[in-house]
Amino acid sequence: MAFIKLNDLEIEVEDGTNIVEAAREHGIEVPHYCYHPGLSRPANCRMCLVEPYGPIPGAPPGTIGPARQLATGCTLSVRTAPPERKLEEKYDAIVQTDSPRVKKAREDILEFLLVHHPLDCPVCDQAGECDLQDFSYRHGHDKSRYIEVKNVPPKKDLGPDVLLYSTRCIVCTRCIRFCDEVSGSGELGLINRGSHDEIDIPRSHEGTPIQLLDNKLAGNVVDICPVGALISKDFLFKSRPWFMERANSVCSGCSVGCNVTVEYKADGLYRIKPRFHEDINQHWMCDDGRLGYHYVNSDDRLQLPQKRVDGELVTTQWADALTLITENLSEVDATDIVVIGSAQGTNEDNYVLQQFAHDVLKTTQLGLFGQLHGEEHKFPQFTIEADKNPNTVGARTVLGSANGNVVLEGDELWEKVAGAKVVYLVSGVPERSLENAEREALEKVDFLIVQDVLPSAATELADVVLPGTTFAEKDGTFTNSTGWVQRIRKTIDPPGEAQVDWQITQQLAKRLGSEIDYHFAGEIALAIAENVPGYSDATHQNIGDAGIKLD
Amino acid sequence: MVQERQILYEHLDVPNINTFDVFRQHEGYTRFEKAIAEYQPEEIAQMVWDAGLKGRGGAGFSTGEKWSFVPRDIEPRYLCCNADESEPGTFSNRYVLEKNPHLLIEGILICCYAMGIETTYVYIRGEFTLGKKMLDAAIKEAYEQSYLGENVRDTGQTINIYTHPGAGAYICGEETGLIESLEGKRGQPRNKPPFPAVQGVFMKPTVVQNVETLCNLPFIVGNGVEWYTQMGPTYADTRKDPPEPDRNTGTKLYCISGDVNEPGVYELELGLTCTELIEVAGGLRGEEVKAVIPGGSSAPILTHYELDTRLDFTSLTLAKSMLGSGGIIVMNETRNIVDCLLNIMKFYAHESCGQCTPCRWGTPWVRDIVQRIADGEGRQTTITRPKFGITESGRWGDTGETEEIYEDLDLLENVANNIANVDTMTWNTICVFGIAVSWPAVSYMRKFRPEFEAAIREGKLVTLPIAEATVPPEENYAYQQRFIPKEFADLE
Repeated sequence: MAFIKLNDLEIEVEDGTNIVEAAREHGIEVPHYCYHPGLSRPANCRMCLVEPYGPIPGAPPGTIGPARQLATGCTLSVRTAPPERKLEEKYDAIVQTDSPRVKKAREDILEFLLVHHPLDCPVCDQAGECDLQDFSYRHGHDKSRYIEVKNVPPKKDLGPDVLLYSTRCIVCTRCIRFCDEVSGSGELGLINRGSHDEIDIPRSHEGTPIQLLDNKLAGNVVDICPVGALISKDFLFKSRPWFMERANSVCSGCSVGCNVTVEYKADGLYRIKPRFHEDINQHWMCDDGRLGYHYVNSDDRLQLPQKRVDGELVTTQWADALTLITENLSEVDATDIVVIGSAQGTNEDNYVLQQFAHDVLKTTQLGLFGQLHGEEHKFPQFTIEADKNPNTVGARTVLGSANGNVVLEGDELWEKVAGAKVVYLVSGVPERSLENAEREALEKVDFLIVQDVLPSAATELADVVLPGTTFAEKDGTFTNSTGWVQRIRKTIDPPGEAQVDWQITQQLAKRLGSEIDYHFAGEIALAIAENVPGYSDATHQNIGDAGIKLD
Repeated sequence: MVQERQILYEHLDVPNINTFDVFRQHEGYTRFEKAIAEYQPEEIAQMVWDAGLKGRGGAGFSTGEKWSFVPRDIEPRYLCCNADESEPGTFSNRYVLEKNPHLLIEGILICCYAMGIETTYVYIRGEFTLGKKMLDAAIKEAYEQSYLGENVRDTGQTINIYTHPGAGAYICGEETGLIESLEGKRGQPRNKPPFPAVQGVFMKPTVVQNVETLCNLPFIVGNGVEWYTQMGPTYADTRKDPPEPDRNTGTKLYCISGDVNEPGVYELELGLTCTELIEVAGGLRGEEVKAVIPGGSSAPILTHYELDTRLDFTSLTLAKSMLGSGGIIVMNETRNIVDCLLNIMKFYAHESCGQCTPCRWGTPWVRDIVQRIADGEGRQTTITRPKFGITESGRWGDTGETEEIYEDLDLLENVANNIANVDTMTWNTICVFGIAVSWPAVSYMRKFRPEFEAAIREGKLVTLPIAEATVPPEENYAYQQRFIPKEFADLE
């Protein structure tokens, strides 16, 4: 640990920490643009200048003073110094981040950054979460001295989801470094020189793109752009950042379990952005996850229960649907019932489901349903996994947690389904088609209950359809492929009369005389902690925003 | 009358000196032979240190000291010869490359021997097609004569030279920009530290030397340190206790252009005054000297008050200018300083690499302001600001008085100083390109302020008589440097 004096604070930081991070840990803002903790440090924006202290050349030993040149805080790392090189006999470094020189340097740099900036904040998507706005407000001049003609480089379409407003660009090169270092695809580069520097993709002489910014991590460049230069087409002109609510959650796109912030308003989700997690996703997420939320806002969402009347699905009331189900369930033997949980559901959903199956229906035949396997994509610093479900590991463990429970998957499951009379399929898997074997098996079932969020191939075969909820509409936990248990949080209300999946299951259980009675997801998590091996610490309180890793 | 002291250029005009045989007849490669026969590598490095050779590329950093920073236990090490001579007003390396390339090869050989380097890259300015052709031919001959290749002259050492043409960027003459360009990347300077001596080409220890510096090596080895140190003035640096000698040894290839009768490259001992130099170059063309740029376009300008300034590293630093690359541009009374500054600023605005913020957007801004003044569109508004100057303590600072100044001139000075502050010699940029921009901008404006004011007042370029155009030294802080203690300036 290095002992440093930062302004008036005496603080201890890890060896190798740079001044920007050391200051951030202690609530001091060192403004910066080009520096990003997940990328290399070219120190080209010159915004994070700080004033280091050191021995004054030519002065008597022991006298220290400010260095002649300011140093960039992003590249100035502190290390434990040998005793003879300690400053004032105890500090490993002395750094000022708010001296008059530093403040002047920041003002000067901000003035330069703004000379060619169009100041089109009123129509800029980034306004409200823009570092250029914030730092100008906090550290910059109150007026511009620039009266010359501004550069007006063209607006560019870089790829499927990314637009570049070159006029707003401050050439920090974060996006270029991201494509070089994290995605390894290297689509972006600088063209021209000096004040005509522009970010661009490779183009022919006529200007037609040779390669688009279309890698599966491309959306991250929009997040890391400190200004409004790189803009997501998906979010373009949709909302002002300050009108949106935010909730910390986990991406449901694959089994990596990227930490995300879901941004939403009452009428639906607006945007999903990655949230830092050191061991899982660092600062990044993939575009599949980022843009995969649209089904939540879909107009087609199931809002009311449905039942099959004369071969047609017609909407009905909850009471009617539940009565129909309980009647059918109580007519058959336990061995003829298969209960199938969802890898898209939370641990809590699946726990209540297995309790319902094991304690109420007395069946031990459970199954696991989820998204079909996709492709794995490996990048130098990121992996998109082939398992497109967020909770395969958790659902499998939780469903199989009670004595004698068998969790079937794949062909085994569908063989069992084909021979069953009643199947309770909790799906919640968006846009899931059915393979032939699956369809044939489900067609043979006498009474098929499907709990889903959207009309799907499975609901078409169902006798009763129950409207469930997506990840955005419920609380709970997901367990990712590496054993991290993490929380998702409710953002918007379910559409229509759709209900949280475990609540639907609980109502069925109650109708069949069970005493299962949970009031909120955290309560179920306590039950999981008690009864599921390995989950003893996984209460919502313990998990928090950081998640916990199972042994 | 000052005589030229030809050392590097001694045999420059011998017919066919670019061929191995003719070069050999004129002591060619004998210095290298002597080096490998009589000295250990470390001894050569010590000789270079003792000779007080300063880098001729611009910064004037001690070559021996630079070599001492190179860790000798890391392999491989590289030598990078900077032949990307692009400073406006400078054209001395080009003559060596085109006329006597074997001399450069011999210098490279000595450096490689002294530093145990096997690979040398010569980064040649892309426009020097003839120079590259000549050097390539000479390298080929040297390979044939086993002065290059494996086991050079039975020393057991391998020395290879590769030439690499630049693509036409001024900034690739900056040593780390050059290295980046050499590695195949965009020519943008690196953050320092680490310096190239520790992590240079391919992140390995690298000696980066100018052509002229390397060409000095054969003569230091051939004629000895004592012979070499006799040339040029030595000052005493009393900032150190006891005072240390501050040496300016050897000759310099002065490139004299502008209003002189015989412009060209002149090899002279360091330490001549501007007046003497103009005499050497055939005298002034015109009536009177208005101004002299002493070290390439990035050096602060000297006025007619400063013509007795000696053109060596120390004296020019004390005069708040620099010897730089030795590109001396003389201007007579017909020249308009605003126009000169515009010319220079157009160059720098075009050549800024655009990597870091202050330079990327500050440099074109400075150009635009000067352009506006030159177009007669300078704003007539004035502002009152504190007057800075030599205070009672003899240092630069706030004098407590105020002065009226045209808004645009204040802006020009302020923007340039925000890129790199010439008063405190601090810069917020990655490389020293920033100071190369603000030095001329601020020094021209301060020393020839009446001419700038006239351009704004009259709405057009006005060339004033010299006496009126120049601000006398006693009224202007541009003439004295703040960061050098006063006592240093008194020394001789």
